Formats: sequence, structure tokens, C-alpha cells
Amino acid sequence: MAQTYLQNTPEQTAALKPLRKRRWGGAAPYLFIFPWIFGFVVFTLGPLLFSLIISFFDWPIVGKVTFIGIDNYVEMFTDDPMFWKSLFVTLKFAVLFVPLNIVVALGLAMLLNQKVRGSAIFRTAFYLPSVISGVALAMIWSWVYSGDYGILNYFLSLFGIQGPDWLNDTKWSLVAMVVASLWGQGSMMLIFLAGLKGIPKDLYESASIDGAGKIRQFLSVTIPMITPTILFNLITSIIAAFQQLTLALLLTGGGPMKSTYFYAMYMYENAFKYFKMGYSAANAWFMFLIVLVLTFLVFKSSEAWVFYEGEMKKNPQKKLKARKGGQAG
Amino acid sequence: MNKRVSLIVLATTMMVSVLSACGGNDGSAGTASQGGGGSKASKTLRFATWDTGDALKIEQDIAKKFETEHPGTKVQVEAYADGFDQKLAAGFGAANPPDVMYMWDFPTYHQSLEPLDGFADKDKDLNIDDFYKGLFNYGKIDDKLYGIPAGFTTRVVYYNKKLFDEAGIPHPKDGWTWNEFQDIAQKLTDKSKKQYGFGVRAENDTYDLQGFVWSNGSSFISPDGKTIDGYMNSKETADSIQMFGDMVKNGSAVLTGGKGQQSGDDIFKAGKIAMWESGIWPLESFKQAGIDVGTVEIPAFPGKPVKGVLAESALSIAKDSKQKDLAWEFIKFYVSNDSIKMRVADLPVRQSVVNELKKDQDSLYKPFYTMLERSSDTPAFLLNPKWNEVNRQLSAAVESVMHGSNAHDVLNQAVKDSERYLK
Repeated sequence: MAQTYLQNTPEQTAALKPLRKRRWGGAAPYLFIFPWIFGFVVFTLGPLLFSLIISFFDWPIVGKVTFIGIDNYVEMFTDDPMFWKSLFVTLKFAVLFVPLNIVVALGLAMLLNQKVRGSAIFRTAFYLPSVISGVALAMIWSWVYSGDYGILNYFLSLFGIQGPDWLNDTKWSLVAMVVASLWGQGSMMLIFLAGLKGIPKDLYESASIDGAGKIRQFLSVTIPMITPTILFNLITSIIAAFQQLTLALLLTGGGPMKSTYFYAMYMYENAFKYFKMGYSAANAWFMFLIVLVLTFLVFKSSEAWVFYEGEMKKNPQKKLKARKGGQAG
Repeated sequence: MNKRVSLIVLATTMMVSVLSACGGNDGSAGTASQGGGGSKASKTLRFATWDTGDALKIEQDIAKKFETEHPGTKVQVEAYADGFDQKLAAGFGAANPPDVMYMWDFPTYHQSLEPLDGFADKDKDLNIDDFYKGLFNYGKIDDKLYGIPAGFTTRVVYYNKKLFDEAGIPHPKDGWTWNEFQDIAQKLTDKSKKQYGFGVRAENDTYDLQGFVWSNGSSFISPDGKTIDGYMNSKETADSIQMFGDMVKNGSAVLTGGKGQQSGDDIFKAGKIAMWESGIWPLESFKQAGIDVGTVEIPAFPGKPVKGVLAESALSIAKDSKQKDLAWEFIKFYVSNDSIKMRVADLPVRQSVVNELKKDQDSLYKPFYTMLERSSDTPAFLLNPKWNEVNRQLSAAVESVMHGSNAHDVLNQAVKDSERYLK
């Protein structure tokens, strides 16, 4: 917008001025975003603050509501083994899921970035799982993983391998969840693809002139150029990992033997199975804090490893030369 | 200039359309309620049930019959199915509960329910003495009655006669022991045919296990509801649960009903398990599947009396209901002889109906009634209001026994983790 103003002729600018003073002139942008603001306040900010308030109450759905201060938080940390157990399960899941998610999404994006005929079809195919609702996805995977009739174990049996009963075996259930979760990450792949497309060709050209092979090009050109995209995907992956609920609820119900009892599921059960709304809200706020801290740490660390072209211009000492017309953001 | 004006117009239009969308909702809701109030004669009674499928169909039929006998009344059957507790709790929380609802968990909900003693005492039509006596214990909290029994079941062992005959094993008889049971299960297991003697649920409802624990002379919680140490982790409790874990381990039983696994009912229907323990619910489907099925009492621990556990559905009225008299009429209709005869999915609560239909003389039904006489112990959830919390630990412990853990160890741990709820 600012740029358009600059391009206005003085007459145009003069014509605009009185309008700005009119009563509704300044309100136009706010009118535009009003539906969003309204939704945000009523459906996001309001409930958010409300959940903070009820986290200081003993709040059963049926029965009396009593203020108990920070007792919910105290109970959580000192007296509830399930809290620590579910938190540990979620951490394990995140440690497996986040790196794999990024590697797989980047791998797929690299494949799609090849100039192959029909790449649009592949792009659609790889993106398709993320269009499917979580419930349908869980149904599909519960069939895939079924011990006796599952397609996965049938496939393994062709090689003479007797597959485990994936979802009922404590050793495999979490791995099964990770793999099923990886399946729906098409949007992350698309973001990577956009990042890859934004890398200027001439970087590769000069790299190959300098004698860099494919691997060297990948490590020294591709990776540094998409570090901002990696940062974004890393943060959204971490958040997604901590919020994983649908699959746990539908695929394993947290079992067997709580091996997939995610923190989000613990929270959900406290609220909707045991009707401890206050306690569950306290759980939720603790998760919010964890995610906040992790995101903060990742951001902090990003100064060391994320490469922004804009900064390069100020600091030409770095290895790669700044180029005109590089990617934005 | 023009651009600006049109921007404002556009923004305003968008806002108006958003607002009018809201208004539109209000409008349609308004007309709907008008429609309800317009024909003043018609009253709508909301009735919530957890049943699905055939059982739900029967309940809808009873509701329709009630409508024809009470002109101007509409019964709205709300089938909450698996989400029963969530939806009901949400209804109570929003002070907008159904008028009449199925109920079993009285300790959790009784504060939101209407005491029914007043109705039951005054109303002679109910003929309260005709009900099986023990059924009323479940719906009483602090000596107030909150639910009228509508149906119940005890639990028995189903067996597949064909599999017994093929193996030349005599059919089990009432008074058999768990040792005999385990022997038979071993003999009827044939891994090559994927056939097992018994099916063990991967996720047991600890409520159902209480019968076994009582039969072994123990219980999950002390009779006064204050202590679990020495009860939930006693040797007798541990042994009775370990038994099933051992049967899975030695291969004479198969785990059923886990995620992506077939349910025990389905495996029994497929003729792949010889014995299955359950309530009355699957009996019809077993017959329909063409299984030559027999029923027998739960086995005994040597030298100890067999105890059973009762699963009961009762009907309650919400405290917030605005039409309690109509709700009571509906309950009365629902537990009348005619309605009870329609309810084939569980057992009749009235002795007169049982006598008339000679149910207790049918060899398939008889064990359910003899087990009823053995179901006099009080289940744990009625003894302590915090039982739900304790049960969370207990269920986890039981599940791990079925997956191979030592019952004594995990039950000790469960007691340790639950003690805080009983302080």
C-alpha cells in the first residue's frame, strides 16, 4: 500500500486527503477485518482466557465449582504419575516424529522439484492424504496395521516375515503412530517445495562451475537457502507433535498399556471422561508453556543456523554472494 | 476516491452479510420454537439412551407406543451411543438435560437427578413389589431412590456345543470350577485352526471382573469404601486376574477386542473360541449366526461360593426437567409389563413377566437367573465417590496383566498410585 501512495501524483494525493478525514474513512480496514476480529475474540481469545481462569478451580461439569488456587498445578506436578507418564510418551513421539517429518517432507519436495513429466499428478497424489480428515485417516491405518488381516503384515508375509500386531504391541504401537502421522504432512511438503523453487538457478550454475557435485550442491546451496523454511516447518512440526490427539484417540485409544497415551489424550480424558475441567485446563496451560518455551528456544538457536538473504546483503563476508532478486522472506 | 468509497461499501456489505447470517440463524431458531409453542397441545419429552442398533429400535418402538397412548405428546429419543457420558454431562452443565435418561452411574450424577421416592410411593400402578428386589440397590444414594430399573443382565459363560462335541468333551455344568474351565480351554485350543478355548478381553471393564474377585473371596475395596490396600492388591484379587493373563500366555485363550482386533462376540460367532463370558446382549446374535450355543454359570474357585455381577440400566428424571409428571408417566409406561415384553435385548425386571414367559425355565436363560441370586455384593463404584479415579489406575493394571505383567506387582503399584484419592 505504502508503495502505491508514493506513486500517486500530487493531485491524487490531494484528492485522497479530505476523504481520510471523513468519519468512516479510517474505519474501512477495521470493517474489513471485523469478521475475523469478532471470531478471534469470541472463539479464541475468550475461551483462552476463560480456560486460564477455570484452571484455578475445581470445575466438574456436574456439581459445585470451587476456587482452589494453584492446587491443580500442584497436583499435576507432585501427585499424578499419569501426568509424567503421558508427558514422557509425547516427548518420545516428538523426538521420533519431528526429524522424520522434516526429512520425509523435504525428500518428497525434492522429488517433486525434479523436472519430470506428470509432476503435477505426483504433487496431487502426495498432497492427497492431508485432504483426508483425521478420522478417515485413522480408519485407513487401523486396517493397514491390523495384526491378522492388515495389508502391512500381508506385505511382510510375502518376504516370510511374521509382522507384529502393530497397534496391540507395546514395542511397536508408538512407531506405528509416528508412521501414520507422517502420512498426512502434505502441506509441509508444499512449503518445502515453494522454498526449493525460490532458490535462484544461478547459484547451482556457479556451484557446478566451481566443481561441486550433487551432494555438495545440496549441502552448500539447497540446505542453506531453505533454512528459513526448515525453521518454519520445525516449529509447526513441534507444535503438531505435542498436539497429536486424533490418531491416538481413534487408532489406539492411548493403549496398549498407555504406550501411546499422549499428553493431549491425558488432557482430553481429564476433561471429557473424568469431567475435571479445571484440572484439564491446567494441563492445557502447561502444554502451552512447553510449546512456548520450545518455540522460543528454536527461534533463539535459529540465529546460529538460519540463513536470511536480507542479512547477507549487510554482511558480504559470508561464503555465498548476495544476489539480486532473491527470494522474499 | 472512487476506489476508497467502493472499499468502504464492500467492507460494509461483508459485515452486514456476516451479521445477517447470524440474524438468519436467530430467525430460523425463532420460528422453530414458535412452531413448538404454536400448537400448545403437543409436548415434547426428551429421552436419552446409550443403546444402538436393535436395542435402540425397541426403545423407539416403545416411545411410539407411548405417543399413541398419550395424544399430543412427542417423545424425542436421543441416542447418545458411545458419547453418552459426554453428552449427558454437557446437557447437565448447560442446564438443558433430557427429561428422562438411561442411568447406571448414580454416584456421579445423583446431584442432577430427581429423587423418585415420592413418585414411586404414591403410584400404585408401578407395582413396585413385582420388581426383583436386588435391582433397587443400584439406584439408591443416601437412601434416596434415583432410578427405576428398566432392564438388567447377569453374566454367564457361553459355550459352543459343536466344538465340545467334536472334541468329545462333556458340556459344562453349573458348579464347575475354574480348574476344569482351564483344562477344557487347553483341550479346545487348536492353533493350527486358529481356534482357542477362551477369549480374554484386551480392555476389561473392571466392573465386570468384580464377579471373579468376589468369587475368590476378595473385593476391590473394603465394604465401608474407605480402604483398597489389602483388597485391590490382595492375593485372591491378584490370583483371579492373573488366571486370565496366564491363559493368554499359555495360549489357551486369545486376546480379543483390542484395536483392530475382532471382538470376542465376533470370534465366538465365527466358531473360533469355544467359551466366552458375557451378559445377555450377544445371545440373539449368536443364535442368528447359527452357533449351537449353551450357557452355564460362572465357574467357582474350589470351596468358595460363586458370585456374580449385575449390569443394570435404570431410568431417571433430570432435576432440571420442566415436565416431571409427564416424565414419570413415561418411565411407568417404559417398565410396564407390555413394554418389558418388547425388550428382548436384556432381561425382564418384573417377576410376573419372567413367570409368564417362563424365561427362568428356558435352559439358555436359566443361568442368568441363578446368577442373579448370586449377585448380592455391592460393586465398588457405589462404595466410594472417587472410584472413577481409582479405577483409572486399576484398569491400567488389569490391562498390563493381560499383556503379560505380574498381577501382584501391578496391583500393588495401582494401589500406591490410587491411595491419594482415598485420603
